Amino acid sequence: MEATVKSHFIDKGEKSPARPAILYRPTAKTGLMMWLTTVDHKRIGFLYGIFALFFFLVGGVEALLIRIQLMVPNNNVLSAEQYNTMFTMHGTTMIFLAIMPLSSAFFNFIMPLQIGARDVAFPRLNAFSLWTFVVGAIILNIGWFMHDGAPDGGWFGYAPLTSRIFNPDHSIDLWVMGLQLLGVASIAASLNFIVTIINMRAPGMTMMRLPVFTWMTLITSFLIVLAFPAITIALVELMMDRLFHTNFFEASNGGMPILWQHLFWVFGHPEVYILILPAMGVISEILPTFSRKPLFGYPIVVFSGAAIGFLGFGVWSHHMFTTGLGNIATAAFALATMAIAVPTGVKIFNWIGTLWGGHLMMRTPMMFALGFIWMFMFGGFSGIMHSAAPADAQQQDSYFVVAHFHYVLIGGSLFGLLAGIHFWFPLFFGRKVSEFWGKLSFWLIFIGFNVTFFPMHFLGLNGMPRRTFTYDGNLGWNAPNFIATIGAFILGIGVAIYFIVMVYTYFKGERVKRDYWDGRTLEWSIPNPPPEYNFRVIPTVHARDAWWYEKHHQAEIAQEKAEHAKEEAEHGGIHMPFPSIWPFFTSVGLLIGAIGVAVINHDPSPGFWGTKINVSMIGGVVMFISIYFWALEGNEGYHLHPEDGEDHDSAAKPAAKH
Amino acid sequence: MQLPSLLRTSGRIAARALFLASTLLLTGCDLNFWRMDGHQTTMIAEGPVARSQLHLFYVTCWVVIVIFILVGAALAYATFKFRARSEADEHAEPPPQGHGNPLVEVGLIAASVFALVIIAIPTLRAIWYTYEIPEAEKANAYEIKATGEQWWFRFEYPKEQIENVGPLVTSNELVIPAGRPVKIDLRTSDVIHSFWVPKLAGKVDMIPNRGNHLWLQADKPGYFWGQCAEYCGDSHAVMRFRVIALGEKEFKEWLVAQKAPARTVTPPTGANTQAKPQFTAFKEWRKNEAGYTDKFDVSPLDNWVQQQYPDKNEDAALVIQGRKVFQEKTCIVCHTVRGHEGVGINGPNLTHLGSRTTIAAGLLENNPEQLARWLRHPNDVKPGNKMYLGIGAMKGYVTTDQRGNVVSHNIVLSDAEVTALVAYLNSLK
Repeated sequence: MEATVKSHFIDKGEKSPARPAILYRPTAKTGLMMWLTTVDHKRIGFLYGIFALFFFLVGGVEALLIRIQLMVPNNNVLSAEQYNTMFTMHGTTMIFLAIMPLSSAFFNFIMPLQIGARDVAFPRLNAFSLWTFVVGAIILNIGWFMHDGAPDGGWFGYAPLTSRIFNPDHSIDLWVMGLQLLGVASIAASLNFIVTIINMRAPGMTMMRLPVFTWMTLITSFLIVLAFPAITIALVELMMDRLFHTNFFEASNGGMPILWQHLFWVFGHPEVYILILPAMGVISEILPTFSRKPLFGYPIVVFSGAAIGFLGFGVWSHHMFTTGLGNIATAAFALATMAIAVPTGVKIFNWIGTLWGGHLMMRTPMMFALGFIWMFMFGGFSGIMHSAAPADAQQQDSYFVVAHFHYVLIGGSLFGLLAGIHFWFPLFFGRKVSEFWGKLSFWLIFIGFNVTFFPMHFLGLNGMPRRTFTYDGNLGWNAPNFIATIGAFILGIGVAIYFIVMVYTYFKGERVKRDYWDGRTLEWSIPNPPPEYNFRVIPTVHARDAWWYEKHHQAEIAQEKAEHAKEEAEHGGIHMPFPSIWPFFTSVGLLIGAIGVAVINHDPSPGFWGTKINVSMIGGVVMFISIYFWALEGNEGYHLHPEDGEDHDSAAKPAAKH
Repeated sequence: MQLPSLLRTSGRIAARALFLASTLLLTGCDLNFWRMDGHQTTMIAEGPVARSQLHLFYVTCWVVIVIFILVGAALAYATFKFRARSEADEHAEPPPQGHGNPLVEVGLIAASVFALVIIAIPTLRAIWYTYEIPEAEKANAYEIKATGEQWWFRFEYPKEQIENVGPLVTSNELVIPAGRPVKIDLRTSDVIHSFWVPKLAGKVDMIPNRGNHLWLQADKPGYFWGQCAEYCGDSHAVMRFRVIALGEKEFKEWLVAQKAPARTVTPPTGANTQAKPQFTAFKEWRKNEAGYTDKFDVSPLDNWVQQQYPDKNEDAALVIQGRKVFQEKTCIVCHTVRGHEGVGINGPNLTHLGSRTTIAAGLLENNPEQLARWLRHPNDVKPGNKMYLGIGAMKGYVTTDQRGNVVSHNIVLSDAEVTALVAYLNSLK
C-alpha cells in the first residue's frame, strides 16, 4: 500500500486538467448506474455470486429434467435432442457459470480482505472480467430462445461431432463463442488476482503467512491462466473449421479429431482443480475456525495445493484412456494420476489433524465442511480406482464416472462453497443465518446427494453408459435410476431451502457484531458489512493467523495502528477510485461481436444487420472505442477520512471531488 | 431445442406423475441392484480381457476400502471425541495452538505411496496384457474389422473373402469364434464412437483418422450385449449391438451360410396369388417403447440359433412382392442384399437380416411387429437416423430444410407395402 499512498495519482486538491465531459468518471453511489460502473471488489464479488447462484439454479433445473427422463426405463418426457441439450447445458452451466464464478465471487470478496488490501490491483479490469463473464453466459444460453436451440454437443464438445457437417446449426457456434468469452473473463480476473496477491499484501504478510484460501486463490489463478489458453486454441480452431472451412479437426481433409481431445483435456483436467482448490481453501479456513486451533501442517497443505496444481497439468490423458494411447502413454498417465492422489490425501490427513485436539463447534459451516471431507473422500477414492487404466476401460463414460465426479464436484466443490457462503455471510451482510434452517438444509442436501449419486456407482458397474436419453428395462438399471431421481428431488428441496433461508436472512436475519465466529484471519478484523475502504488502517501482520494474533496482543497492535493511521492521514487519507462505465461497454462490444460471429446466419440475410461481418465489426468498434475511453478517462478518485470511532459502521464521510 | 417445446414437455411431465407414483411401488420390490448381474454388467467377466480388468477393479476396490475404513475411522473419532458438548465446552479457553507434526505427515505420505504401489503393479501388468494378444496365442487369433456409423456398427471379416465381392460384411450382430482370441480393428466413418462389450472387454474408441484396435475372447459360446459408449449425436443412446460367440464348428457353419448370397424364395406355383395380410392392424408404438419381449432374455443364444432357420409359415408371394417394394422404394440404393438387387453401402448390409436377433442396431427384437414399427416410423425409434433424413445425395423418407422442417416426403409406405417388406426382410435368412 505504501506505493499507492505516495503515488502521483493521489489528488491533493489541485484541479485536474480540463477534458471532454465523457471522459469524467461517473460517481453514482446508488441504483443501476452504481452496479454497472462499480469497481469495488466487494460489489463485483457480490454480483459474481448472484449470477453464479442464478445459473446454479438453472443448471439444477436441467439436472432435474435429466433425472425425470431417466426415472423409469423407456421414458419419453424429453426427446433425444432435448435430453442431449440438457446434459450439455447442465455440464457447461454448472462448471463455467455456477461453480467457477461462485469461486470467483469468494476470490473477489474475501481474498483482498485476507491480505489486508483495500481493493484488487486493477479494479476496472475486475469489472471488465465480471461483465465479460455475463456476456459469455448470455451467449451460451441465448440458444434457448432461438430456433436452433441451445448447444447439444456435450460439455466436452468432441470434434468431429461439433463440426459443421455433423452439427450444422448455430447451437455449437454459441457454445464455441460463449466459452471463448468466459475464457477471456477468467484469464483477466486471474491475472488481476495474481498481481493483487503478489503485490498488495499488507506489511508483514509474507507468502508463508497467507491464509490458505488466499493461497488456493493464487494457485487456482495460475491454473486458469495456464489452462485456458489450451481450450482457447481448441475453440478458435473449431471456430475456424466451422466458419472458414479450415481443416484442424476435419478428418476427410486430413485433420485430427484426436487433437481436440488433447487440447481440451490439457485444459479440462486442470479445470477440475480450478473447481476444487477454492473449495479446499474455504474448508481450510472453516476447520481451524470451528476447531479453534490453527490448521495442522500449514506448509504441507500449501505445498500439496501447489503440487496438485503442478501435477494437474500432467494427467490429462487419463480422460483418454480408451482412445488407444498405447502402452507407454497409458502407463505414464496412470502412474501420474496415482501420484496426484498423494497430495490430495495429504490434505485430508491435515484436515483431520486440525480437528484432532480441537474444540469443535458444530455450526452449519462446520457441518458442510465435515460433509465435504467425507464426500470428497468418496470421490477421491473412486478417482484412485479410475487411475488403474485397464479397470477404467470398463468405467470410462459409464455412470460410475458420473458418480465419481459428482462426488468431487457436489460433495467437494459445492459443499465447500455452500459452507463458505454460510461462513462468511455474517461478514458479507452483517446478519447470521439461522442454525436450525442451515442444518436442516445441510442434512437434506447431504442425504439427497448421496441417495442420488451413490446408486450410480452400481449403475455404472452394471454397464449403463452416460449421455443416454433412454434405456431398456431388462438390464437391471431400473431401481438405481428410480432411487437416484427420488434423491435428486430431495437434493433439490434441500438446495431450495438453503437459498430461501439465505434470501430471508439477507432481509430479515438477526444482526451480528463483527467477528461473529471468533475468526482467525484478517477479514474478520473489519466491521460488517465491510466499509468500502475495507481497512481504516492497513494492518501489520505478525503471525500466520493474523487476526487471532491481534486479538491476543491487543495493546501492541493498538499502538501500531495509531501510528499507521497518523501516517496515512498525512498522505491525504484513504484514496478510493471513482467508478467507471467503460469496462461495461467494452464487454457490450464483445457481446455484439459474439452475436455477429455466432448468432447471425452463415448465409447473409438482407440488410446491414443480416451479415456476420457487419455485426462483428460493429462489436469490434464498440469494444475498441470503449478501451480507448477507458485508457483516457481520468484516474481521479476521492479521499476518505474515517474517524476513529467509525469503525463499527460504514458511515465514513466521502469527500468527493473531481 | 427451444423454449416453447420445453413448455409443452412440462405438460407431459405432469401427466406422468400418476404413472410414476405407481412405478414407485413396483421398483420397491426390485432392490437387488447391488448384485449388478445385468446383461451388460462389468462385474461378470466371460473372457480373459474382461477378467483381467475385473481383477484389477477388485484390487483397487479393496485397497481404497481399507484406506477408507482407516481414514474414515480417524475422522469419525476426531469428530466425536473433540466435539464441544456443552455451553462450558463452547466457552472454554481455546485448545493448544499446535501447528502440526512433521513425523506424522511424512509417515502418512509414505503410507499413501505404499498403498498406491499395491495398485500400480497390477495396473501396469494389466495394461500390457489387455492391449495386445499374448504372443503365444497370436497365431490362433481371428481378425475382424468394426466400423462405427451414426448410429449402428458395420462388421467386416477380412479373412472371409467372397468371390467377386470382397470380405464378408454384416452389421450390428458380431459373430465370433468362442475360445479364440479375436482382434478387432476399430474404425469410424463419421464421428467418434466407442466399442464396448462389458462382459468380454472394456471399451476402446473408434476415432476418425486413427487406427485403434482391441482384443477380446469369449470363454465359451454365448450371447453378449454391447453398446456405443461415446456420445455420438442424437441417437447415441440407442446405438447398441450384440456379440454372439459360437463353437468352432457352429462358427464355420455360420460363415458358410453368411457367405452365401441372399436366400431367394421360389415363386409359388399357381399364378396370381394375392398376399395375405400378416397384420390385422399395426400397433402404434410410443416413442422409446421397449422393443423386446421378456421371453427372449431367458435363453438368448438358443433364440439366436432358432433365428437362423427360415420361417415355416412364410408367404412366398408376399416375399416376392416385398422384394419388389424394396427396389421401388429405393431401399436398394443404401442397403446391400447380396445376390438380390440391393447394392448400396450407406446402410447396414441386409443380406442375412432375417438371421439376426435384433434390428435397428441392437435396439429392437427382430420380429415382424418390430420390423413394421421400424419401417413405418424410423424417426420415432431412432431420432435423426439416415434412413429417415437421407445421407448426402441419397434421399431418405423425408427431405428437410435448413431449419429441420420437413419439406417433402420421398418414401411413403402403405400398410400393404410395409407388410410385404416385412415378409421379404424376414425371409433373408
